[in-house]
Amino acid sequence: MSQKPCIGVNVPRVDAWDKATGTAQYTDDLSLPGMLHGALKRSPLPHARIRAIDTSRARALPGVKAVITSADLPRVRYGNWRFSPNTQDEYALAVDKVRFVGDPVAAVAAVDRDTAIEALDLIQVDFEELPGLFDLDAAMAEGAPRIHEETAGNVSVTREIDYGDLAAGFARADYVRDDVYLMPPVSHAYLEPCSSLAQADSLGRITLWTSTQTPYIVQCLLASVLGLRENEVRVIKPYVGGGFGGKMELRSWDVCAAFLARLLGKPVKFTQTRDEEICAGRRRHPMRLRSRVGFTKDGLLLAKELIVHLDGGAYNSMGPTATFLVGNLGAMLYRYPAYRYRGFHVYTNNPPAGAMRGFGAPQAFFVAEGQMNEASADLGIDPIDIRLKNAMHPGDKIRGFATIGSCAFTECLERVAEMSEWRRQRREMRPGRGIGVGCYSFVTGGNFNWFDTKYPFSAAEVRAYADGAVHLLTMAADIGQGSDTVLQQILAEDLGLRLADVTLYAADTSLSPKGDLGTWASRVTFMVGNAILDATRQIKEELFKVVALKFDTNVVHSFECKDGMVRVKGRPEKAVPFGEAVAMVQSLRRGEPLIARGSYTPRDMGLVAPTYSFGAQVAEVEVDRDTGRVRVTRIHTAHDCGRPLNPQAVEGQVEGCVQMGLGYALTEELVMRQGRTLNASFLDYKIPGALDMPGIDSVCVGGPEPKGPFGAKESGEGPVSPTAPAIAEAVWHATGYRARRLPITAEQVLRHLETNPTANDDRRVKP
Amino acid sequence: MSLPHFEYFAPRTIEEAVALLAGAGGRARPFAGGTDLLPRLQSGLVRAETLVDLKRIPELCAIGFDPASGLTIGAAVRLADLLDSPDVQRRYPAMTDAVSQTATVQIRNMGTIAGNVCNGSPCADSVPVLIARLAHLALMSPRGERLLPIGDFFKGPGETALEPDELLVRIHVPPPPPYTGFAFAKLPARTASDISAVNVGVMVARQGGVCGEARIVLGAVGPVPLRAHQAELRLAGATLGARLLEEVGRLAASETRPIDDLRASAAYRRDMAAVLVRRALVVAATRAGLAVADAAPAGDATGASE
Repeated sequence: MSQKPCIGVNVPRVDAWDKATGTAQYTDDLSLPGMLHGALKRSPLPHARIRAIDTSRARALPGVKAVITSADLPRVRYGNWRFSPNTQDEYALAVDKVRFVGDPVAAVAAVDRDTAIEALDLIQVDFEELPGLFDLDAAMAEGAPRIHEETAGNVSVTREIDYGDLAAGFARADYVRDDVYLMPPVSHAYLEPCSSLAQADSLGRITLWTSTQTPYIVQCLLASVLGLRENEVRVIKPYVGGGFGGKMELRSWDVCAAFLARLLGKPVKFTQTRDEEICAGRRRHPMRLRSRVGFTKDGLLLAKELIVHLDGGAYNSMGPTATFLVGNLGAMLYRYPAYRYRGFHVYTNNPPAGAMRGFGAPQAFFVAEGQMNEASADLGIDPIDIRLKNAMHPGDKIRGFATIGSCAFTECLERVAEMSEWRRQRREMRPGRGIGVGCYSFVTGGNFNWFDTKYPFSAAEVRAYADGAVHLLTMAADIGQGSDTVLQQILAEDLGLRLADVTLYAADTSLSPKGDLGTWASRVTFMVGNAILDATRQIKEELFKVVALKFDTNVVHSFECKDGMVRVKGRPEKAVPFGEAVAMVQSLRRGEPLIARGSYTPRDMGLVAPTYSFGAQVAEVEVDRDTGRVRVTRIHTAHDCGRPLNPQAVEGQVEGCVQMGLGYALTEELVMRQGRTLNASFLDYKIPGALDMPGIDSVCVGGPEPKGPFGAKESGEGPVSPTAPAIAEAVWHATGYRARRLPITAEQVLRHLETNPTANDDRRVKP
Repeated sequence: MSLPHFEYFAPRTIEEAVALLAGAGGRARPFAGGTDLLPRLQSGLVRAETLVDLKRIPELCAIGFDPASGLTIGAAVRLADLLDSPDVQRRYPAMTDAVSQTATVQIRNMGTIAGNVCNGSPCADSVPVLIARLAHLALMSPRGERLLPIGDFFKGPGETALEPDELLVRIHVPPPPPYTGFAFAKLPARTASDISAVNVGVMVARQGGVCGEARIVLGAVGPVPLRAHQAELRLAGATLGARLLEEVGRLAASETRPIDDLRASAAYRRDMAAVLVRRALVVAATRAGLAVADAAPAGDATGASE
């Protein structure tokens, strides 16, 4: 009897039951005997020298077990970019100086949370306030104070890309746009605040349960800070309630929990409040992007120059990657014969920015797509047609850093045009309504070894047992995106088993094979999936040998694992049940179990990524001309993720991306004043809710990606970028208002309408 | 940061509750839904050593309607209870409009209309219609009960006429007067289920073919919910038409005193007050059976619903 396939079908998430019933245990749900509770004393000032810290009153508070400052900790700086140690600029607790409102200066461990929080107020820090730098120009101004002593001019990272003859391109251009865009800081707004729980054994070795996307990175960096060997730290990732890039680094509370657990011999847990998350968690980079693009009068791109200043805040965090990626992504999606990029990562006294879903792409594509839309209007070419003229195709090369693999961008454009009845709607929509398009491309995994790992980028260990059960061990970190489900699908499918035959043990650095760099850059399905296939190939090799022996197979025949059997292809009677075949292998090996370790590291695939996703999205909006309010009424979206392995999981990712893109377009921004975040709660940080969501038609377009496991590419991040430019174009179509900054507020639209009452209606067919 | 320690009482009668409040000498707080009180205690905005839970007092959980005296709403009646009440649905549609746009489903399942009133927030969504309805508040203290017109209740942002030992026990809403229509409109700050940047409650009374008495109440555009008296006077005796409503909207906007804050600028609030007043008046006039010449249909996006 043939089994249902495990790939390409809708499989319910393996974590769905636990999460829906509330039995899933997140880090803050965990408790150990004798556990203490930690809290961080954070700086109230954006920039100040620490003259002295008096912890005596806090230590005297009954119930307080320890209060630590940087004087207690080993003086080791850390940061994700181990590849460039000079970018590692953070201490767990501030040394000599605080650089943003929320910079941790001390940590408390107490018998309960209330006592720990009470103790924070008793810590007295004598600050000498320093001038704060809150915008790019002030930070880069001649003679500006240095935020980090070793970084003159406060520019910590630069990146240059040059190819093609830029001057000649612009000289030939009939039409040149030169625009400046300002993008706001926004919050990941993951629902689970960060939490970590540390336990030390009698020799001081650490076990850390932490809400992270990157267990291996936390393991290595924590060991380096505590002066332990890497393998004296064990990191376990429990269920994680969302990360979106905000949980991919070692953080202050991880270090403090582990240090205090060693110091006190008791487990210590730190959990962040929402206020701490919004004020002092990571955030998406605010950026100033100046983009100059040249076209022929027929709409063909000739040249592009992109100059980007990233407000990185007080520390580098993942800023170096952001600085690289914006430049890389700025050259994606369309064929730019000549390209020049200059990226500057600037320190300010704002809270540090870090990685966030679509890393660099929402900013890069808001600009690229905005300019494409403006060019289409000025040149009198339909926005979809001008994109089709310039679209990337499979096999395209970007000199020096990327070769495009599978690419169904053209098909995506054609598909959304069809789904949205683009040509008719664009012409005939009644006043007050608008339709617009936005597109994107995104990396499937990253090739650049910024962490300087000495292990493969991904690894999987597969253990096959004689009872027919199979174990999968991997460091892949499911943070809610569904990788635990899809990795089990890949394993079951390739060994011809059912999902129920597979048990996953993931994200425990002491059990999972080394290494894995974690969940970011939409890498997990692709890279860990390929590592699994490397392991199953070895398992199958062993199984096929025993089947060949048993049936004395003709040398021209081949074998397969299917329907729970290991069998000769085309000879269904020559089959052995999977478990029995495993038993035969094990017997031949005198009891040694059948275990294989697979790995994946991208090599010779350019500087950026093994392959890229593409897509197009159309937004329909309705604008209330009396109030300026924009309501998004419909989203049509076509995504090229190669072959969708679990279509409903892809759909969930795409819809989640639309929700985030909608917030970026219309409602979300961290409102800053002199380094302070003014809207540090979900009352005033406005995330679109269920009532704001438009209907979404989403389809997957394109064929399998040859490099991907079962043909898969990414789906979790790319679609976060097109929503804002599509909405912005639809708003222009409805009102004539061009947004070159986000979010688009009702008041901006209304003020535009007051001075431009014709509101673009003349561009439509008269009814 | 963390919820402070407090004593908790759950009395069974109004008298017990009032005695507990009075006995605490201003250090007690009545506690109904807790949707505003608990976060404020946690953040230190409100201090209380004692919480007096009202939810176990049967009279405070009741909604009553009598054709002669109108609607009575107990202080522990949840916003969701009001939406479920057939009397409110049938006779007080503008209240349903306002309450159904207050906060979110989850908050409405815990929060009370009395709490919404007692917060003294200038942007409380249930308040403008209550003012337009000339509701009264029954306030109980050891000195007895007094009835206060709701229009006299608000003194400033977060400040009300409630004495420290007083408990709001009931809201009285007069029976629907004949030939009148009420309406509510709100402009949420940004998202669909958001706090109001501006909200409006209006009443239009029909007198033959023209507007008789009118009431216009605006929220979130001043330190307390405001009556737009000049705009009301302009409507009295007038034949309703699009141009008149434009003028009335502008007049009402000129009577507001909005501020700039995170949710909206003062200028935008003032402009939006004019729009919402105009839209709400169209709905109220229609409900009163009055035609409005040349009026655009009320916009849906900002909640001026039928």
